[in-house]
Amino acid sequence: MKAPTRGDADGSGLVSHGPWAILGKLLIAAGFVVVAMPLLWVLLGSFKTGAQLNDPTVLTFTPTLENWNTVVSSGILTAAGRSVIVGVITVTLSVLVGSMGAYSISRYKTGGSATRFGILAAQVLPPAVLVFPFLALAYDFQLNDTLAAVIAAHLSFVLPVVCWFLIGFFDAVPIALEEQAMIDGLGRFAAFRKVVIPQVAPGVGAAAIFGFVLSWNDLFYALILAPGNSATLPVRIAGFNTFRGVELGAMCAAILVSVVPVLTATFFVQRRLVRGISGGAVKF
Amino acid sequence: MSFRIRLLLPLLALFVVAVGYPLAFSFYISLTNYKITNRFDVKFSGLDRYADALHDSAYWSALTVTFTFVLIAVFLELALGLCIALALQRQKRVRDFTRSFLLSPMFITPIAVGLMFRFLLNQQLGVIPTLLSRFGISYDFFGPARAFFSIVLIDVWQWTPFMVLLLLAGLESLPRQPFEAARIDGASTFYTFRRVTLPMLSSVLVVAILIRGLDALKVFEYVYAITRGGPGTETQTIQYYVYNTGITFFRLASASAMAYGLLAVVMFLVILLFRRVERARRS
Repeated sequence: MKAPTRGDADGSGLVSHGPWAILGKLLIAAGFVVVAMPLLWVLLGSFKTGAQLNDPTVLTFTPTLENWNTVVSSGILTAAGRSVIVGVITVTLSVLVGSMGAYSISRYKTGGSATRFGILAAQVLPPAVLVFPFLALAYDFQLNDTLAAVIAAHLSFVLPVVCWFLIGFFDAVPIALEEQAMIDGLGRFAAFRKVVIPQVAPGVGAAAIFGFVLSWNDLFYALILAPGNSATLPVRIAGFNTFRGVELGAMCAAILVSVVPVLTATFFVQRRLVRGISGGAVKF
Repeated sequence: MSFRIRLLLPLLALFVVAVGYPLAFSFYISLTNYKITNRFDVKFSGLDRYADALHDSAYWSALTVTFTFVLIAVFLELALGLCIALALQRQKRVRDFTRSFLLSPMFITPIAVGLMFRFLLNQQLGVIPTLLSRFGISYDFFGPARAFFSIVLIDVWQWTPFMVLLLLAGLESLPRQPFEAARIDGASTFYTFRRVTLPMLSSVLVVAILIRGLDALKVFEYVYAITRGGPGTETQTIQYYVYNTGITFFRLASASAMAYGLLAVVMFLVILLFRRVERARRS
């Protein structure tokens, strides 16, 4: 191996100096500003009073916690709790059922390419096609405005995505591992559970988080199926939509209630998530 | 029953309940006069609701708005995303933090993003129009002929990171030898990009465009949060129009027929694209 040239420290063939590299750094810096500014402004807004919000350029002011009090006492934390319940149940069901099914599809080619295509096609379905049957069913079973209806609807998009990821991960596990396990006396299911699952655990984690974020962020299904007493967080946040200066601060605080947990969570697991997505989604 | 079938069965059952049944039921609804208040006295009306949709100028306008939106937004996201992915690939220091930070918009609840930009771009109270007016520019982001483009920009803000993520993953999985060969041959950076990077990346590009395009078709939250389809029907996307027809006006049958119309268009495009990709792969 020849020594890397100057500025090519990791031998990737990419040079980190010259006009293109400077342009790249400027672009990244601009990206930072564009991503950070709106979020910072909302953060500032959540500590401003109604009068201060009327002049959007005010930067120095005595912060007030009034907006946060309004938002917390509006029951938004209960809504967040409901979102967590929906997300956790949806993802748990998807991962439990999906991992077995994905393993069968990956290892035994069950159903051939038709099952794979079916799972892919399910991700393409516009929510507008599926939502009204869920609504009609919810009315039939008197489950309208309950979390059960929302969970059923969320399964329709979380399950295919989670399966798609898992098939990709199982494809990457060498078959020799299970063969060795079965020679060692494990049954087929035990080999799957004790040998294969630990191999794909990081992938399962990534898929679970991705599925949870999809569920947590959904407004369309939740708004139609549970607009009232069982409103999830996005539905409640949509309720803060206002043009009046007095309520803008509360709207900012409400926005942050949904943004902060997801950003914190994804920030810590993003490396794994990125690897999971690139391992599972880019392959067709 | 064999082992593999027993493993697949729970998935199949859940799939039928969560996807198959609603899909079939939706088609049934579209063929009737189904109303949520009148669920047990349903009469067949054949393809009438489809004929209605075809003669509904608002439906066509919603389709046009949506597909124009997808074309412009995905094009901008692709161009910008590719530039940022190339820049991030070259970056050597504070890699993880930069990536996590720049990717973060795609994880934010879209309705929160919608409200955030409604606040920032508001004519009277928003910081951006206020700053612009200091320079003597008066620009109403949600006025006629502008609201549509503002919605596109919000989509670009939130979803360019997703493009970056896919393209960066693609870039980093490319083999190194061709790049080293190009460098030894003294090829310029731009020439290497056009003749080496782009061709090798083409399959990832197709996948990225496909995933993002299909997702952008579902745009709803920004419209719901900000314009409610206005001014006029300039920003009335198909998802919002179907929502309005089914929920605001209780016309579930019409809404289902419209949704099925969209599904037909989407499936047609997907199959067309897949055949193109397959043919390209074979030759």
